Amino acid sequence: MGRVAEDDERAFTELVRRFQGRVGNLISRVLNDRENVDDLAQEVFVRVFVHRRNYRRGSKFSTWVFTIAANLAKNEIRRRVRRRNWFSLDALTEVLSDSLPQLADPTESREQGLEREQLQGAVGRAIATVPEKYRLALVLRDIEGLAYEEIAEVLGLPGGTVRSRINRARGMLQRKLQPLLRKQDAP
Amino acid sequence: MNRCDQARRLFGAYWDDEVTQAEREWLESHLAGCPGCRQQYEQFARTLETVGSLPRTDTAADLPERALVAARRAVAVPDRIAVAPARPMWIQVTATAALLLVGLGVLLPWLGTPAVQQVLAHRESRVAEPRLRMVAAQVPGQARTEAALVDSLLNHSDDVEFILDPVVLHRGRAQAPSGLPKGVQGEQAVISF
Repeated sequence: MGRVAEDDERAFTELVRRFQGRVGNLISRVLNDRENVDDLAQEVFVRVFVHRRNYRRGSKFSTWVFTIAANLAKNEIRRRVRRRNWFSLDALTEVLSDSLPQLADPTESREQGLEREQLQGAVGRAIATVPEKYRLALVLRDIEGLAYEEIAEVLGLPGGTVRSRINRARGMLQRKLQPLLRKQDAP
Repeated sequence: MNRCDQARRLFGAYWDDEVTQAEREWLESHLAGCPGCRQQYEQFARTLETVGSLPRTDTAADLPERALVAARRAVAVPDRIAVAPARPMWIQVTATAALLLVGLGVLLPWLGTPAVQQVLAHRESRVAEPRLRMVAAQVPGQARTEAALVDSLLNHSDDVEFILDPVVLHRGRAQAPSGLPKGVQGEQAVISF
């Protein structure tokens, strides 16, 4: 990032290459939208470049880029709500069904594969219905694997609030998925 | 709070490996003896495992190049709104305070001049409040009350003819029934057209 701050364009493209997957995944999970992920991820990196001199040397770049991505996702949610363009659950199902074959375990049976797809689909839909402020914290923790302290920094919240939001989001998810998990537990 | 509630409150911290050794031992012994909590924890863990294993969304392979082009463009385009050069805030605050003081310094002596006092006094007297006053009675021992009336006290339901000549109006006397108590006489009417 130090080189990017000194206008090194090659360093910038390298940085984008390294973080585009995590930024794109965060945005797609929070917004439940795959179609516009590239445009939104691009916007995140444009902001990184434009504000490159505001980056504090020594701080973690991933925290900074996630802060920009989270703010952009929040603004995008509000913009869409204003335009009454609500998130499409079908779009998320499509995302999941499109990308599932890439992760399918070659040893699992067709039935097991279908069951896994069904569960992942339900989890994806359940995440999309969790309120925004809980969803962001949940995605950062349980999908992106950030530490609580880092999430607190990204969201600009006290650590206790972050823990409480994540706990609530997990509880909401579990309640939504309970019927499906019970069915799977049954012999 | 019963033991099951206490145990379920620890699920998140246990999953994140953020419990103390004592909490871990207590929770594990509780889960071993409580099928309900064990099932709840299994569902909780499966939910989070599935969340963690959701397929990742791919981004375009040419995103770095596209982002660079867009970034160059964003840097090259100047703001359409002209931005004034940054000035320290204290200059604006001091200038505003100084202007206010000068304004007050000019205004206060002017307010004290006889001409202004006269204008203010005239304004105060222009709209008279309705007032009742006692006047000497024609019959000894009986006092008469007169009132200055505002327009709203007159009953306008009867037709009253006014001549719009200030002199005639001043001399004439409009006869209109008012809502005043018996014995109270109107002395002045403010009429709005």
